[in-house]
Amino acid sequence: MIRELRYERLIQASPARVFDLFTSPAGQREFYGNDAPGWVVDSRCELHVGGVWEIAFGPSPGELYRHRHVFEAIERPRRLLLATTETRLDGSRLAFSTEFTFAPRDGATLMTMVQWGFPSDELRDEHGRGLPHAFDRLARAL
Amino acid sequence: MGALSPTLDATFFALSDPTRRGILERLGRGPATLSQLAGPSGLTLNGIKKHVGILELAGLVETEKVGRARECRLGPATTLGEAGEWIEAHRRAWEGRLDRFERFVERAG
Repeated sequence: MIRELRYERLIQASPARVFDLFTSPAGQREFYGNDAPGWVVDSRCELHVGGVWEIAFGPSPGELYRHRHVFEAIERPRRLLLATTETRLDGSRLAFSTEFTFAPRDGATLMTMVQWGFPSDELRDEHGRGLPHAFDRLARAL
Repeated sequence: MGALSPTLDATFFALSDPTRRGILERLGRGPATLSQLAGPSGLTLNGIKKHVGILELAGLVETEKVGRARECRLGPATTLGEAGEWIEAHRRAWEGRLDRFERFVERAG
Protein backbone atom coordinates (compact mmCIF):
# COMPACT_ATOMS: atom_id res chain seq x y z
CA MET A 1 0.00 0.00 0.00
CA ILE A 2 1.28 3.47 -0.84
CA ARG A 3 0.92 6.14 1.81
CA GLU A 4 -0.80 9.25 0.52
CA LEU A 5 -1.94 12.65 1.65
CA ARG A 6 -5.33 13.57 0.22
CA TYR A 7 -7.00 16.97 0.03
CA GLU A 8 -10.41 17.83 -1.46
CA ARG A 9 -12.26 21.02 -2.32
CA LEU A 10 -15.72 21.45 -3.85
CA ILE A 11 -15.39 24.45 -6.15
CA GLN A 12 -18.37 26.22 -7.69
CA ALA A 13 -17.37 26.07 -11.36
CA SER A 14 -17.20 23.44 -14.08
CA PRO A 15 -14.23 21.03 -14.25
CA ALA A 16 -13.04 22.68 -17.48
CA ARG A 17 -13.18 26.12 -15.86
CA VAL A 18 -11.32 24.97 -12.74
CA PHE A 19 -8.74 23.08 -14.79
CA ASP A 20 -8.11 26.06 -17.07
CA LEU A 21 -7.79 28.50 -14.17
CA PHE A 22 -5.48 26.14 -12.30
CA THR A 23 -3.16 25.85 -15.29
CA SER A 24 -3.27 29.58 -16.10
CA PRO A 25 -0.38 31.84 -15.05
CA ALA A 26 -2.72 33.82 -12.76
CA GLY A 27 -4.10 30.68 -11.11
CA GLN A 28 -0.65 29.22 -10.61
CA ARG A 29 0.62 32.44 -9.02
CA GLU A 30 -2.43 32.52 -6.79
CA PHE A 31 -1.92 28.92 -5.70
CA TYR A 32 1.45 29.86 -4.26
CA GLY A 33 0.42 33.32 -3.13
CA ASN A 34 0.16 34.81 0.32
CA ASP A 35 -1.32 38.02 1.69
CA ALA A 36 1.84 38.84 3.63
CA PRO A 37 3.45 42.14 2.49
CA GLY A 38 6.40 41.57 0.19
CA TRP A 39 5.52 37.94 -0.54
CA VAL A 40 7.31 36.75 -3.68
CA VAL A 41 5.93 34.32 -6.28
CA ASP A 42 7.83 33.62 -9.48
CA SER A 43 6.05 30.94 -11.54
CA ARG A 44 7.10 29.63 -14.95
CA CYS A 45 5.19 26.83 -16.62
CA GLU A 46 5.53 24.72 -19.76
CA LEU A 47 2.12 23.06 -19.97
CA HIS A 48 2.87 19.86 -21.86
CA VAL A 49 3.80 16.33 -20.88
CA GLY A 50 7.47 16.44 -19.92
CA GLY A 51 7.21 20.21 -19.38
CA VAL A 52 8.29 21.87 -16.15
CA TRP A 53 6.36 24.16 -13.80
CA GLU A 54 8.88 25.93 -11.57
CA ILE A 55 7.89 28.17 -8.69
CA ALA A 56 9.99 30.20 -6.31
CA PHE A 57 8.00 31.64 -3.42
CA GLY A 58 8.58 33.07 0.01
CA PRO A 59 8.48 36.11 2.27
CA SER A 60 11.37 37.89 0.57
CA PRO A 61 13.72 37.50 -2.41
CA GLY A 62 16.39 36.25 -0.01
CA GLU A 63 14.17 33.56 1.51
CA LEU A 64 12.62 31.51 -1.25
CA TYR A 65 11.29 27.97 -1.32
CA ARG A 66 11.34 26.29 -4.72
CA HIS A 67 8.95 23.73 -6.15
CA ARG A 68 9.64 22.00 -9.46
CA HIS A 69 6.82 19.99 -11.00
CA VAL A 70 7.33 17.89 -14.13
CA PHE A 71 4.09 17.11 -15.97
CA GLU A 72 3.75 13.35 -16.36
CA ALA A 73 0.13 13.40 -17.52
CA ILE A 74 -2.19 16.17 -18.70
CA GLU A 75 -5.77 15.04 -19.35
CA ARG A 76 -7.86 18.19 -19.67
CA PRO A 77 -10.17 18.74 -17.86
CA ARG A 78 -9.96 15.62 -15.70
CA ARG A 79 -6.44 15.07 -14.38
CA LEU A 80 -2.88 16.32 -13.92
CA LEU A 81 -0.03 14.12 -12.71
CA LEU A 82 3.15 15.83 -11.55
CA ALA A 83 6.53 14.68 -10.29
CA THR A 84 7.21 17.25 -7.58
CA THR A 85 10.49 18.25 -6.00
CA GLU A 86 10.59 20.69 -3.08
CA THR A 87 13.87 22.47 -2.45
CA ARG A 88 14.19 23.74 1.07
CA LEU A 89 16.01 26.81 2.30
CA ASP A 90 19.06 24.75 3.22
CA GLY A 91 19.22 23.39 -0.34
CA SER A 92 18.07 19.87 0.55
CA ARG A 93 15.26 18.30 -1.46
CA LEU A 94 12.14 16.23 -1.00
CA ALA A 95 10.58 14.45 -4.00
CA PHE A 96 7.07 13.00 -4.25
CA SER A 97 4.20 12.60 -6.72
CA THR A 98 1.24 14.99 -6.91
CA GLU A 99 -1.99 14.24 -8.74
CA PHE A 100 -4.86 16.68 -9.26
CA THR A 101 -8.25 15.43 -10.44
CA PHE A 102 -11.28 17.52 -11.39
CA ALA A 103 -14.58 15.63 -11.18
CA PRO A 104 -18.08 16.99 -11.79
CA ARG A 105 -20.14 16.97 -8.61
CA ASP A 106 -23.65 18.47 -8.36
CA GLY A 107 -22.94 21.24 -10.86
CA ALA A 108 -19.59 22.05 -9.28
CA THR A 109 -16.13 20.45 -9.34
CA LEU A 110 -14.63 18.17 -6.75
CA MET A 111 -10.95 19.06 -6.97
CA THR A 112 -8.80 16.40 -5.33
CA MET A 113 -5.07 16.58 -4.71
CA VAL A 114 -3.23 13.42 -3.73
CA GLN A 115 0.46 13.23 -2.84
CA TRP A 116 2.46 10.08 -2.32
CA GLY A 117 6.00 8.75 -2.44
CA PHE A 118 7.25 10.26 0.83
CA PRO A 119 10.25 8.66 2.51
CA SER A 120 7.99 7.33 5.23
CA ASP A 121 5.83 5.19 2.92
CA GLU A 122 7.39 1.98 4.13
CA LEU A 123 6.88 3.04 7.71
CA ARG A 124 3.12 2.97 7.28
CA ASP A 125 3.31 -0.48 5.70
CA GLU A 126 5.17 -1.66 8.75
CA HIS A 127 2.71 0.05 11.03
CA GLY A 128 -0.06 -2.03 9.47
CA ARG A 129 1.85 -5.12 10.54
CA GLY A 130 2.13 -3.96 14.12
CA LEU A 131 5.00 -1.61 14.85
CA PRO A 132 5.51 -0.74 18.49
CA HIS A 133 3.30 1.86 20.08
CA ALA A 134 6.09 4.42 19.83
CA PHE A 135 5.18 4.82 16.15
CA ASP A 136 1.48 5.33 16.62
CA ARG A 137 1.80 9.10 16.81
CA LEU A 138 3.72 9.35 13.56
CA ALA A 139 1.34 7.04 11.74
CA ARG A 140 -1.60 9.17 12.88
CA ALA A 141 0.15 12.33 11.71
CA LEU A 142 0.74 10.73 8.32
CA MET B 1 6.61 25.62 5.72
CA GLY B 2 9.73 25.01 7.73
CA ALA B 3 12.68 23.11 6.40
CA LEU B 4 13.38 19.56 7.44
CA SER B 5 15.93 19.50 10.21
CA PRO B 6 18.99 17.25 10.12
CA THR B 7 17.36 15.25 12.93
CA LEU B 8 14.24 14.68 10.89
CA ASP B 9 16.28 13.68 7.85
CA ALA B 10 18.12 11.20 10.06
CA THR B 11 14.79 9.85 11.31
CA PHE B 12 13.40 9.28 7.82
CA PHE B 13 16.68 7.70 6.71
CA ALA B 14 16.75 5.41 9.72
CA LEU B 15 13.16 4.29 9.15
CA SER B 16 13.67 3.63 5.44
CA ASP B 17 15.37 0.27 6.04
CA PRO B 18 13.31 -2.88 6.84
CA THR B 19 16.05 -4.36 9.03
CA ARG B 20 16.09 -1.23 11.18
CA ARG B 21 12.31 -1.22 11.41
CA GLY B 22 12.52 -4.85 12.50
CA ILE B 23 14.96 -3.83 15.23
CA LEU B 24 12.53 -1.17 16.44
CA GLU B 25 9.67 -3.63 16.38
CA ARG B 26 11.72 -6.03 18.50
CA LEU B 27 12.72 -3.27 20.92
CA GLY B 28 9.07 -2.27 21.19
CA ARG B 29 8.64 -5.50 23.12
CA GLY B 30 11.49 -4.67 25.50
CA PRO B 31 15.26 -4.08 25.65
CA ALA B 32 17.62 -6.51 23.93
CA THR B 33 21.36 -6.94 23.59
CA LEU B 34 23.11 -6.68 20.24
CA SER B 35 23.52 -10.47 20.22
CA GLN B 36 19.82 -10.99 20.86
CA LEU B 37 19.00 -8.62 17.99
CA ALA B 38 21.47 -10.36 15.67
CA GLY B 39 20.04 -13.83 16.29
CA PRO B 40 16.68 -13.68 14.50
CA SER B 41 17.85 -11.17 11.86
CA GLY B 42 20.46 -13.47 10.36
CA LEU B 43 22.94 -10.59 10.39
CA THR B 44 26.40 -10.60 11.90
CA LEU B 45 27.07 -8.73 15.12
CA ASN B 46 28.91 -6.07 13.12
CA GLY B 47 25.95 -5.73 10.75
CA ILE B 48 23.56 -5.22 13.65
CA LYS B 49 25.94 -2.71 15.25
CA LYS B 50 25.87 -0.65 12.06
CA HIS B 51 22.07 -0.56 11.94
CA VAL B 52 21.76 0.19 15.65
CA GLY B 53 24.28 3.01 15.22
CA ILE B 54 22.10 4.64 12.57
CA LEU B 55 19.02 4.30 14.78
CA GLU B 56 20.97 5.74 17.70
CA LEU B 57 22.07 8.78 15.67
CA ALA B 58 18.40 9.46 14.87
CA GLY B 59 17.51 9.21 18.56
CA LEU B 60 15.28 6.21 17.93
CA VAL B 61 17.41 3.82 19.98
CA GLU B 62 19.55 4.16 23.10
CA THR B 63 22.31 1.75 24.05
CA GLU B 64 24.06 1.09 27.32
CA LYS B 65 26.93 -1.16 28.27
CA VAL B 66 25.65 -3.75 30.74
CA GLY B 67 28.42 -6.08 31.88
CA ARG B 68 30.00 -7.49 28.74
CA ALA B 69 26.98 -6.86 26.57
CA ARG B 70 25.51 -3.72 25.01
CA GLU B 71 21.83 -3.38 25.73
CA CYS B 72 19.52 -1.53 23.34
CA ARG B 73 16.15 0.05 24.00
CA LEU B 74 13.80 2.49 22.23
CA GLY B 75 15.04 6.09 22.38
CA PRO B 76 13.17 9.28 23.17
CA ALA B 77 10.01 9.70 21.12
CA THR B 78 10.72 13.38 20.51
CA THR B 79 12.11 12.73 17.03
CA LEU B 80 8.87 11.05 16.03
CA GLY B 81 7.01 14.07 17.32
CA GLU B 82 9.14 16.27 15.09
CA ALA B 83 8.37 14.07 12.07
CA GLY B 84 4.67 14.34 12.79
CA GLU B 85 4.92 18.11 13.19
CA TRP B 86 6.71 18.42 9.84
CA ILE B 87 4.04 16.40 8.05
CA GLU B 88 1.32 18.52 9.63
CA ALA B 89 3.11 21.68 8.46
CA HIS B 90 3.35 20.17 4.98
CA ARG B 91 -0.37 19.39 5.02
CA ARG B 92 -1.29 22.88 6.25
CA ALA B 93 0.77 24.53 3.51
CA TRP B 94 -0.95 22.57 0.74
CA GLU B 95 -4.39 22.98 2.32
CA GLY B 96 -3.76 26.72 2.35
CA ARG B 97 -2.88 26.69 -1.35
CA LEU B 98 -6.12 24.90 -2.21
CA ASP B 99 -8.12 27.34 -0.06
CA ARG B 100 -6.50 30.25 -1.83
CA PHE B 101 -7.11 28.77 -5.27
CA GLU B 102 -10.77 28.09 -4.41
CA ARG B 103 -11.25 31.76 -3.50
CA PHE B 104 -9.50 32.77 -6.72
CA VAL B 105 -11.93 30.70 -8.84
CA GLU B 106 -14.90 32.24 -7.01
CA ARG B 107 -13.59 35.75 -7.68
CA ALA B 108 -12.89 34.91 -11.33
CA GLY B 109 -16.55 33.89 -11.72
